[in-house]
Amino acid sequence: MFHFLQFAATRATLAVITLIMVSFIVFSLMELVPGDCAERYLAFKNTQGSQISIADIDAERVRLGLDKPYIVRWGKWIVNAFQGEFGDSCILRVNIAQLLGDKFWISLAICLTSLLVAYLIAIPVGIISATSKSPIVNNSLRFVSYLGLAMPNFLLALMIMLFSTVMFGDSLTGLFSKEYRDAAWNYDKFIDFISRAWLPIFILGWSATAFAIQTVRALMSDEVGKLYVLAASARGVSGRQLLWRYPARHSLGPIINSLGFDLNRIFNELPIVALILTLTEAGALLIEALARSNDQQLAGAIIFMLTASIVGINFVTDIILAITDPRVRRSILG
Amino acid sequence: MTDTATMEKGDKNVDQSAKEAYFTAGQGQLIWTRFKKQRAAMIGAGVLIWLILSGIFADFLTPYNPTITGRNADYQNGAPQIPKFWDENGFSLRPFVYTYERTRSIETNFRWVSTINRDKRRYMVFFTEGDEYEMFGMKFNTHIFGADVGKIHLFGTDGTGKDIFSRTFHSINTSLAVGTIGVLIAFVLALIIGGIAGYYGGWMDSILQMITDAVRTIPAIPLFMAIAAFIPAEISSEGRFFIISIILGFIGWPTLARRVRTHLLTERNQEYVLAAQLCGASPAHIIGRHLLPSFTSYIIVDLIISFPYMVLSETALSFIGLGLKEPVNSLGVMLQNVTKADVLLNYQWNFIPVIFFIVLVLAFVFVGDGLRDAADPYADTKK
Repeated sequence: MFHFLQFAATRATLAVITLIMVSFIVFSLMELVPGDCAERYLAFKNTQGSQISIADIDAERVRLGLDKPYIVRWGKWIVNAFQGEFGDSCILRVNIAQLLGDKFWISLAICLTSLLVAYLIAIPVGIISATSKSPIVNNSLRFVSYLGLAMPNFLLALMIMLFSTVMFGDSLTGLFSKEYRDAAWNYDKFIDFISRAWLPIFILGWSATAFAIQTVRALMSDEVGKLYVLAASARGVSGRQLLWRYPARHSLGPIINSLGFDLNRIFNELPIVALILTLTEAGALLIEALARSNDQQLAGAIIFMLTASIVGINFVTDIILAITDPRVRRSILG
Repeated sequence: MTDTATMEKGDKNVDQSAKEAYFTAGQGQLIWTRFKKQRAAMIGAGVLIWLILSGIFADFLTPYNPTITGRNADYQNGAPQIPKFWDENGFSLRPFVYTYERTRSIETNFRWVSTINRDKRRYMVFFTEGDEYEMFGMKFNTHIFGADVGKIHLFGTDGTGKDIFSRTFHSINTSLAVGTIGVLIAFVLALIIGGIAGYYGGWMDSILQMITDAVRTIPAIPLFMAIAAFIPAEISSEGRFFIISIILGFIGWPTLARRVRTHLLTERNQEYVLAAQLCGASPAHIIGRHLLPSFTSYIIVDLIISFPYMVLSETALSFIGLGLKEPVNSLGVMLQNVTKADVLLNYQWNFIPVIFFIVLVLAFVFVGDGLRDAADPYADTKK
């Protein structure tokens, strides 16, 4: 038990170090944007009719703490970030945590559901295609997964939009119906959400599934030929039971391990899909912040939360693997 | 009896010479032999070569200048014109299209409406002279086809009257250029970082691995967007093009660096490295002259596999308006306006370029996969 705690503690420390490094990259990127908060804020005041001098800008810098050295500001930012507090967006002059609200969690939920759907399809299909000898099954699966790789999500989203506009006259965009947009979460809103969210989930799951099938297939075909599988089948285990009890369990380990990076890949595509389908969630906000309004505080906050969830998932999968995989468990517990 | 004996002998001879050829063949020959056997990869290679050539010679193969100077002001949002050989007015050996006439009157509610005039034919002419362009440092004005009267638009025109056919081929060119620059930069970075991590190992390796992992944790497209947002707006479109390619390269290196590192870690304990070290060779010399050549083929394969991802990232970036901008043509730039309901409902030919891009990416994926299988020395023994 002590060894396990030690293992968990090392992993947690590593995760925190990664997060700090990532936060440094993100913070540096934010700092690189020309102009700072003080200039923005006073430029806004200027448009309201008051005269602004250089001294005003400097005074504002002091008030916002922008005159302090880079490292100090980074330290302050990261300490606040770990508490979920990202300060105010100086473009919109709204608290970022308030602005994001549940939008970030909606995005995360959409991505995780796509990931789940992808693996629910990919694990059985990948196992079948790795063990099947039929060239038709293999070639058609190969073609489908190639298509998934070659047709990026945003093109798929565009195609679906084109198709549904021409066929049904509805572009299937948005995340909520009008009447639920500002309502509090309840059962009806949830149902409404599901009736709209399946499309982004499908689109994001599309290439994730293609990718997952390839991974599962490669891992399975490495394991199927091994001697322990032959030994098991010599003992009379066969069919689904054989596959599921022996090679599949082996090959799923690396998959659990890479879940964090899979989520990364899905999240990657979310902003653009969100833009096309006009979803009101964090991905769309991110694009808005980066491409339109140059709002570095908001963008930094979203990217940080994103990487924090990926690092978090990497940590959780490491722990799950340590508990479920007897080989890892033994190496930790000695 | 004797027949089978001679046949067996013949088989043996063939076998022997095939074996000899196999053992004396260079690595390139071996890869090529295995690559030729894969039909899908060969088809992909054919398509790819065709697309690359049509991208390079886009100026010659397309009738008009793809930028605003080549626009057809009389035919905005025009439908594709499909060449015909005959209609009710008779047969013609030379393919022709119809003239579209735009009218605006009280009957059309003062909106511009184009009608087809089937009596006015526009014949296609070949090797015609048109917009001037530069290729290999020389100026030309010959285009492979055009129309004798007015203009011809095989894929229609977009909202400003630019020829979609011309833009499509030019954008293939752009994508290939962006991909090449991006891949090369990623490649150089990966070689340096992966090379140092793999050759020295130890704490140097651990630190570089941690940095690589941290870069990998940040989703690439938000990172692209964050960096691309810093490009000043007043920069020229060519400058923007180079910056975007460089960014793509700077973000694409981690996967490749990992592969280089893993290979070097196993390879650096070999005797030939020790021999070189004892001869007093410098680390840069050993990495560059002895270690890297030992897996050049894998690097090439990796580069080809990562190529379509560069192209797709560029497309996505341009599509949201952070990547390339007019007058540079790329698929992303062309798709910028298609999400409008008006375009979706009325001008679907704006989507024609997408087909070319899916084919381009698929061809790359097939060739990359084929090459990966072909470069794997154990591919034959596995089967």
